[in-house]
Amino acid sequence: MKKLRLPTGRRAWNWVWKIAATVIIGIVIGCSLTINSVTQPASVTGGTVLPITLNATIVTNNPQTSALVIGVLVPTVWNASANTTMTFTSSITSGPQPMTLIPAGTPSPNGGGVGWQTDLMNTIGHAGNLIPEYEWIAFQSNTQYAVNSNTTVSVTVSINITVPTNNVYFKMAYVIAESSDGLHSTDYGDPSTDYYGTFFPAPIRVNGTGTLLDFVNPQLSVVVPGFSTDNDIITIPFNSTVAANPLSAASSVYLCATGYTSAGDSIQVCQQTSKTQLQPLGAGNWQLDIWPRGFFGLSPGQSLDSIEYFFTDVNGANKVGYGAGTSPFSYTFGCQ
Amino acid sequence: MKRLIKINCALLLGILFSCKVEHASPPNEAVKNISGSWTITDATRNGTDLTSGFNFSQFRIVFSDSTYTIDSLVPFVVSHNGKWAFNDPQYPFSIIFTQTDSPSVSTPFLFPVVNGVRNIVLTFSPGCPSNTYQYTLQKAN
Repeated sequence: MKKLRLPTGRRAWNWVWKIAATVIIGIVIGCSLTINSVTQPASVTGGTVLPITLNATIVTNNPQTSALVIGVLVPTVWNASANTTMTFTSSITSGPQPMTLIPAGTPSPNGGGVGWQTDLMNTIGHAGNLIPEYEWIAFQSNTQYAVNSNTTVSVTVSINITVPTNNVYFKMAYVIAESSDGLHSTDYGDPSTDYYGTFFPAPIRVNGTGTLLDFVNPQLSVVVPGFSTDNDIITIPFNSTVAANPLSAASSVYLCATGYTSAGDSIQVCQQTSKTQLQPLGAGNWQLDIWPRGFFGLSPGQSLDSIEYFFTDVNGANKVGYGAGTSPFSYTFGCQ
Repeated sequence: MKRLIKINCALLLGILFSCKVEHASPPNEAVKNISGSWTITDATRNGTDLTSGFNFSQFRIVFSDSTYTIDSLVPFVVSHNGKWAFNDPQYPFSIIFTQTDSPSVSTPFLFPVVNGVRNIVLTFSPGCPSNTYQYTLQKAN
């Protein structure tokens, strides 16, 4: 049997140094923030509180004093900045710890000067929601907490959002981060993704009133913004690839619309001109921005309650309505 | 020796009294001048660009000393001619429009120079309060 020979002298120190360095580097790198689970109901009744529980684990490999930051992706119709409360408990604190909304525009760490909300949108995205009426809100603990190195902290965040009565189907998203590193730190050579954690649960349905704001399922046409008056500029899109329809292969698409005034009159604008022509966005997507007051030529005393519309080809012969059928799309004006 | 001391004292006193306290006052900030005809060069709704999809080219607003005239072919802070004023002529943070026979409307006002060109940036909600528009105006050529 061959004898194992241990190095001695200078050679031994060389090995000790190498092993120690490897261990130290192993300890220093590898900080992580992970969202383990998010408990949120599949559906909630409009006008009530949506309760959410977020469980997370933070592993530190370096001493740090930071505040906890939680980001939530919500539809703008919820006005969640004003209708959300958040607290957390953890394995290193006692009792619920208060958290406060980070004011819009407050720069995020290492974010190049952009605010937390914008940084979350740019970095994490919009979770695949199809209607561009979403926003990130971010809360921060009122206190910064000193955490030792090589510590594992369990965190449970309680989030309550009072949702309005609107019918909504939406993909929420969550982020956990801390106030020192933000979303872009690469300290100790770690990738920035080590300094925050994300979670994308199943879509949530708010059972309320009015037209369903469906952010999840592709639709032929959903007017943006969801809430407007006739004195807003509204965007009327047409996604020709969602369902088989006579305009799937059209080289140009036009709007054929009827406005209904509060006095009960109807005004039709159904022509194939530059005024009604949708702009191509590529991949079968089209859209037209209109100012309803100007588009329908309203007099100062007139106002619109709603519009109905179809899409046509350049001849006006092929018409596409709701669900690719013959009924028009409809949009009702009103504010939240 | 005494004479030398006297001369030195006289010189010292002369130096001391030749100094006078300078009362520095900050330069006066110029009153912001927005007179002229302005057009919309950039527009957003809730942060989404509208400039490429909506025709703003027909819009004009002409400011004179205290009045404005408008071709309101787009949603704007006001839709009729009237008077205007700054909340502070030297350090304006808002501009106040007063249409004839209508209450005054105040809206945030910025007056930055971008790439050597003076801009007026207005933020307002002509329709639903939840929809915020930001127009950037530049002087018409």
